[in-house]
Amino acid sequence: MSLLRNIATGLRFLFRRNKVNRELDEELGTYLEMEAAEKMKQGMSRKDALRAVRLERGNPEVTKEVVRSGGWEFLVDTLWQDLRFAARMLRKNPGSTIAVVIALALGIGLNTTVFSFVNALLLRPPASVKAPEQLMEVWIHNPRSSGMMSYLPLTYPDYLYYRDHNQSFEGLLAFDGDPHSIIWNRSGEGQVVLGQLVSGNFFSLLGVNAVLGRTISAEDDQAANPQPVVVLGHAFWREHLGSDPSIVGKSLMLNGANYNVIGVAPAGFAGLLVGFEPDVWAPTAMVEQITRDTGRLSNWHGHWLIAVGRLKPGAKASGARAEVSVLERQIEMDHPDLKRNLDATAFPATLIPAPYRIYVTAFTALLMAVFGLVLLIACANVASFLLARATGRTREMAVRSALGAGRARLIQQMLVESTLLSFVAGFLGLTLAYWTAPLLLALKPASLPITLRLPIDWRVLVFTILVSLICGVAFGLTPALRVAKVQVASNLKDETQPAGYRKSRLRSILMTSEIATCTVLLVCATFCVRSLRNASSIDPGFSTQHVIAATLNPGSLGYSDVQVRAFYQLLSERIRALPGVTVASFTDHLPLGPAREQTAVTDAMSPAASKKDALPVDVLRVAPDYFQTMGISLLRGRDFRSSESQEGSKVTVINEALAQRLWKGQDPLGRRISVADDKASTEIIGVVRTGKYRTLGEDPIPVAYLPQLASRRTLVVRTSGDASALLDAVRREIHSVDPNVAATDLETMQQYMSLPLFPARTTGLLLGVSGFLALALTSIGLFGVISYIVSQRTHEIGVRMALGAQRSDVLRLVVRHGILLTAMGLVIGLGMAFGAAQLLSSLLYGIRPTDPATFVGVALLLCAVVLLACYIPARRAISVDPLVALRYE
Amino acid sequence: MPDKPSDLVQGTLDMLILKTLALEPMHGYGISVRIEQMSKGVFRLNAGSLFLAIQRLERDGLIDGEWKPTENNRRARYYTLTAKGRKRLNDETREWGRQAAAIARILEAS
Repeated sequence: MSLLRNIATGLRFLFRRNKVNRELDEELGTYLEMEAAEKMKQGMSRKDALRAVRLERGNPEVTKEVVRSGGWEFLVDTLWQDLRFAARMLRKNPGSTIAVVIALALGIGLNTTVFSFVNALLLRPPASVKAPEQLMEVWIHNPRSSGMMSYLPLTYPDYLYYRDHNQSFEGLLAFDGDPHSIIWNRSGEGQVVLGQLVSGNFFSLLGVNAVLGRTISAEDDQAANPQPVVVLGHAFWREHLGSDPSIVGKSLMLNGANYNVIGVAPAGFAGLLVGFEPDVWAPTAMVEQITRDTGRLSNWHGHWLIAVGRLKPGAKASGARAEVSVLERQIEMDHPDLKRNLDATAFPATLIPAPYRIYVTAFTALLMAVFGLVLLIACANVASFLLARATGRTREMAVRSALGAGRARLIQQMLVESTLLSFVAGFLGLTLAYWTAPLLLALKPASLPITLRLPIDWRVLVFTILVSLICGVAFGLTPALRVAKVQVASNLKDETQPAGYRKSRLRSILMTSEIATCTVLLVCATFCVRSLRNASSIDPGFSTQHVIAATLNPGSLGYSDVQVRAFYQLLSERIRALPGVTVASFTDHLPLGPAREQTAVTDAMSPAASKKDALPVDVLRVAPDYFQTMGISLLRGRDFRSSESQEGSKVTVINEALAQRLWKGQDPLGRRISVADDKASTEIIGVVRTGKYRTLGEDPIPVAYLPQLASRRTLVVRTSGDASALLDAVRREIHSVDPNVAATDLETMQQYMSLPLFPARTTGLLLGVSGFLALALTSIGLFGVISYIVSQRTHEIGVRMALGAQRSDVLRLVVRHGILLTAMGLVIGLGMAFGAAQLLSSLLYGIRPTDPATFVGVALLLCAVVLLACYIPARRAISVDPLVALRYE
Repeated sequence: MPDKPSDLVQGTLDMLILKTLALEPMHGYGISVRIEQMSKGVFRLNAGSLFLAIQRLERDGLIDGEWKPTENNRRARYYTLTAKGRKRLNDETREWGRQAAAIARILEAS
């Protein structure tokens, strides 16, 4: 009742302000009048009586303000007043307002961009999933190892055991962590689609219903009798099947077999993995048919299933964690022959599988820190801008407080101004993020099959609003408190500028920290940009020009070994016959990619060599002419012959690094090595130059090339001219040899190299941008502050020059201040940069994080920029006409 | 001024205004004069706090205001106690009595 009444009265005030104010005036007037009348009765004159009342009761305007401030509507009203006033003040000074807003908008915008990645990767729950907060991921954990490598997904038998024996979960689903490139035979034409294998309860446990038909059921997913059925992704159904409403019941030819379409998933649903939007879902029990890889359903060594359970109502995460650990022990007790001696654990499920989360978090945290520093610099600019303005407005504040504005009211007004500033900047920043976030995504190599959505959702909005608010309040508060401390009397009486020592000290602290922050960013940026240049110029040991690569797997279509060999034979001939192609070959995988094969090698001729001395060696399997195609120089011996590609031919080509490790300084040709557990030894027929195999920054890795290839191969083609011109011709040849086969990654080697260069490029670009912004913002800020100080001291400078100071004296006076600030900032900044650079060391190529040239270079650059920022105001100072300066007051 | 008027105990102003209005409807100045008289000059109200309290009481529905002409041809707002206000006054008087007695007992104990 009274609340409603309160609101009603408040609203009445807001909308009929004049009337309400008149009534208050009248009521107070009557009050004073009555009191005066009382005094007049005692014999005072009317004038004296009114004066006496005023003395006793205080200023009626102040009284009115006090009474008005009692209601909530007062706050709304004054906020609105302040907002209008603030807008007017900012408009009055458009140049500096725009500069400050842009600086702040860049700072906020970049942070919002990074946050939209954090949101998409770490915060957003899987779309269209019922109660995602109840989901837990189950992982097998190796307690003797650490980091990402210590976690393993489940094997199929593991999954069945966990699914059927746990008490914590309403149900446990599983899906394949790796996307499968499946060849869809679309009326005679092969097309690559991305498939995900999911357990029979996947859709039902997630609460996802088909928009058409039904989803995969437990009956479809029986290991004994798996059903060849698929559920289509909504986007795939829309884009490739024209949203065919009668698709259910039709079949798709996938990897050479027919699959019945049983349903279409709802729009937006993309499973539980970030960046992967499957085109089709098939039952996990179909894995052997789809991958043509036997034993996946029965073996206890192939870890390929990510399991996710939904907690029962009332069940606790800690309980589930303890239970899976017990289940793992039970498995090991039931199967002592496994000797795996592992543990199991559970994590809350998010779109990034738990073991990888920490890396994504660390990387995004690094970016947040970097752009947070840029924002800090922008905020320091805003603060010194507001401080300078606040000093200039001391008189205005004194007048306001004399007219009855309380201290809180003055602080409120200043805060409204700074918050308005930061909110305008926040809005611009959000717009900026909307455009830059997809731009950042474009840095990703095209060959990574990742689709990431970066929506500006409520989390991003809340983040931007919070950051704006914090910027506005935190950096408006100091100037506001300063202003509110005005000494009414002295400021009204006195015209002189109160350029007190404390004020300039605060500004100096701001500038020093700005320079220090800028130093840190510039040093890190220089390191990353130099490292990017180093990485781009690292010789990977093979040519990145004039080479095309394409990955093929005819075996996935169910072809026999003979058919596969015939296909590659014909393809090789046709490709080599293409005009512009000099030579072509095959490999099982390209260096610097995600695939890797490792084995252990010993010197077969040394009697002393035991298993203990086995050397870990990377294996690449290649066809004849691979070295020539890839531009890898053959140092000794010969290449493989086509007859050697048969199983059982015991020859190998090794790289120099392996030769050095086994027989330092001796001729390795004709010597023999034992590969893994192979009884027969393998002869070395050639030695090639060592390249880069895992990462660009690695130390030489010993590598053995073997001539036997499986069905999955990467075709490499050497062209005489521009490689990209032949991409289409290569695609056509593959198609004409067998239209059912489709290449998964058809690209030039230059395009391929964007994958290994990705980390260096990303950090180089992002830190480069941040360093540049930091430098620009700092020099603008410094310029502003020095200019302001000079304008404050115009009078003093005039006096000095009138008394005979030389121009150089004045110049020194002005520049000295800037140099002092810079020197302090540099000392602090270089110290912090030294620490920050150590954090970056794992991302750097060919440059140590202690490189003195970088530190010295950044220091010199900053000094030069600071001198320039000081010089311009200083020149203005010395060109001051003493007479004008003296008359200035 | 011989004796400096005392500040009111926190929260008691509302009660005093309600008590004043319980006798008869009155305008702002009347309330202030009445409180001053009844306290024999111990409490002197500041116009700001008085009208702030009146505004608060009116919004809470404890008193009602009405414009009426005064004897010297001005308008003043006369305030009346509502039923809710009367109840609040009774409650607060009782509570005040209890507390005052308790405080007195503590101060007298030696």
